Amino acid sequence: MKTISRLGLALLAATAFIHPLTAAPADSAELQALRDQVNALAQQIKVLSRQIEIKEEAATAAAATTPKITVSDKGVTLASQDGANSIKLRGLVQLDSRLFFGDGGGVNNNGFVLRRARIITEGTFAKNYSYQLVPEFGGSSVSILDANIGVTLDKSFQLKFGKFKSPVGLELLQSDSWTFFNERSIVTNLVPNRDLGVQASGDLLGGKLNYAAGIFGGVGDGGSSNNADFDNEKDLVARVLASPFKDAADSSLQGLSFGVSGSIGREKTAAGRTSGYKTDGQQTFFSYNSSVVSDGQVWRVSPQADYRNGSFGAIAEYVVSTVNVRPTATGAKKELQNKGWQLAAGYVLTGEDSSYNGVSPATNFNWEKGTWGAFEVTGRFANLKVDDAAFPLFASAATNADEASSFGAGLNWYLSKTVAFKFDYYQTHFGFNAAAPAVSGTQILRQDEKAFISRFQLAF
Amino acid sequence: MKFKTLLLSVLAVLAATAATAKTIELLNVSYDPTRELYVDYNKAFATYWKAKTGDDVVVKQSHGGSGKQARSVVDGLPADVVTLALAADVDALATNAHLIPADWQKRLPQNSAPYTSTIVFLVRKGNPKGIKDWDDLVKSGVSVITPNPKTSGGARWNYLAAWAYAKHKYGSDAAAQKFVGELYRNVPVLDSGARGSTVTFVQREIGDVAISWENEAFFALKEFGADKFEIVVPSISILAEPTVSVVDRVVKKKGTAEVAKAYLEYLYSDEGQDIAGRNYYRPRNPAIAAKYAANFPQLTLVTIDAEFGGWTKAQKTHFADGGVFDQIYAK
Repeated sequence: MKTISRLGLALLAATAFIHPLTAAPADSAELQALRDQVNALAQQIKVLSRQIEIKEEAATAAAATTPKITVSDKGVTLASQDGANSIKLRGLVQLDSRLFFGDGGGVNNNGFVLRRARIITEGTFAKNYSYQLVPEFGGSSVSILDANIGVTLDKSFQLKFGKFKSPVGLELLQSDSWTFFNERSIVTNLVPNRDLGVQASGDLLGGKLNYAAGIFGGVGDGGSSNNADFDNEKDLVARVLASPFKDAADSSLQGLSFGVSGSIGREKTAAGRTSGYKTDGQQTFFSYNSSVVSDGQVWRVSPQADYRNGSFGAIAEYVVSTVNVRPTATGAKKELQNKGWQLAAGYVLTGEDSSYNGVSPATNFNWEKGTWGAFEVTGRFANLKVDDAAFPLFASAATNADEASSFGAGLNWYLSKTVAFKFDYYQTHFGFNAAAPAVSGTQILRQDEKAFISRFQLAF
Repeated sequence: MKFKTLLLSVLAVLAATAATAKTIELLNVSYDPTRELYVDYNKAFATYWKAKTGDDVVVKQSHGGSGKQARSVVDGLPADVVTLALAADVDALATNAHLIPADWQKRLPQNSAPYTSTIVFLVRKGNPKGIKDWDDLVKSGVSVITPNPKTSGGARWNYLAAWAYAKHKYGSDAAAQKFVGELYRNVPVLDSGARGSTVTFVQREIGDVAISWENEAFFALKEFGADKFEIVVPSISILAEPTVSVVDRVVKKKGTAEVAKAYLEYLYSDEGQDIAGRNYYRPRNPAIAAKYAANFPQLTLVTIDAEFGGWTKAQKTHFADGGVFDQIYAK
């Protein structure tokens, strides 16, 4: 463009030069030479303009097929121009520090834990086909956490195949990155985690009603599928969540969602229905005897609610988990019913909105600029009660608690949308069956669990 | 009972009609200057096909530089048929993507080239630079418009016509290369296709002469005024044979093989040939060619096979990466 400008100036100068010459007749050959020069310059300008035009046309044509690359706090996305095909890379790293107080000192439970380390690959093909692949490198072993394929027929009807979260627990369905606390509440012990299956889901009534229903292999309380389900028994799982005031902008109930979920099926497995119920500090306070097998109907039901209003957010859920078990493969069958609930809330001190999908700080932490990101305070009460009938045939009263009641308080510091420090204090009080000895056989159950868990998290 | 029978019969006929009549969509991926030709031809074919089968045919058109269009099809553009500027571009569908068989050119008469054209010069009215033959294009101060042979089929015909002239006149490939090199030094803008070059010359008023498809030169006269431009016919030019083919793998997948084949075959019909003649393409049918003879001056036309050993060899020698054109244009 600079070249064109220079040529344009030269053309103007030449034209200005010709004008007095025509006013005062001069040598005609010289005049013709100047005219030729002007024409040549005009032609050069046209050529340069056309070359730019051709380049722009080529760029426009190329843009139609050039993939879009987006790098943001939501990950790295490569997408076709029409957005129909995409691949998105995300990640999650959580490094935890666990400190336990007043537990007698006989338990090696203090330390650092790489709680989660995931590279998340997801995207779409032909607009309507989505996929997600999530390997987990955190913890003590590598595993495939999620691997699923989605087919979107309509907003109101989507199908998902593969391994993914079973739609029962409210807090469990929330992303690991954005829960109020570092660890989900003890009620999550009673709901299935990731399972193999097929699910239909969608939004109805303009998004005011969300449903999900599917057939899954069936996993025990708090458990995940190990990528194979060869038994003949399956679980039907369903959830409906209503947000009736979603469009009522002026209503304080706009952010209220409530619903119910449940599962029902039959299980006949060589193991009990849980590997153990864990405290907020991730220590096991209850597990079935190793000889216990599952045999018969299992069902769960969970009323649940989520509420958001500006900086305030809260969740509440109640779970009943029922299982038919035998103390041994040939022992008498017994139906056990374990129950739990939680109420958790958070308030963003810096004014940003509380959200099921995390807090987005208005400003990122920046030492030089004096901006601090966002701060959120959180609180929680929860309880889990094991069926009294579990003792002593199915679990030892001497080494297990039959109830855990916990409260937690936390402070979350969001340095940015992607980076956060989270500091939580949990205290859990244990209850015991009448047959339990005065002093529990398990060291960590002899006193309340007092745990301080801090986390440094990168999530994008 | 009679009324019931009648009603059922009517419903059955309606159902059968609804079940059989259908709309078929074809995509014709073509080169730059054939827009007008195929607008006319698609209408005629749709009428023909409707009368023959009862089905509606909607033909979508895609136009651009022939080489670029071929690459798009290789890359996945779902063309039912290609009607490209030269056989080498259609060959690319066989060699680079196995979309068509290697012997595709044998499937239709005249090596699958239902009409021909040649290369002429388009100059401004009055021919101010006195352009008469190829030699005038290499003179100092003459600005020549021709598209990029890397992307345009027409440009490759232009290049080879100039080469053939120089080789005939100066006696060697070396002399021809020097001549063509001098010619391209007079080219200020390389468009990606023939229609782009027409825009450059006619609408942007760049250049003294445009080397052009004969049909495109006539198009410029018709669209932009015979009082503004004139056609100059050189002493030697080349017989340009745009070729056509069904894209087998696409039509098999879409279930359009029958109609796609008929679409190309109909180009050889009297009506198809007449439409070609009306759009300034040289018809293959001698009777129809005679009807439009006045439009097409007689001149010496070399052929790609006789002069350059066929398109495969010409493509490799002149237009492949590192070929003669790259050597010329790099200078």
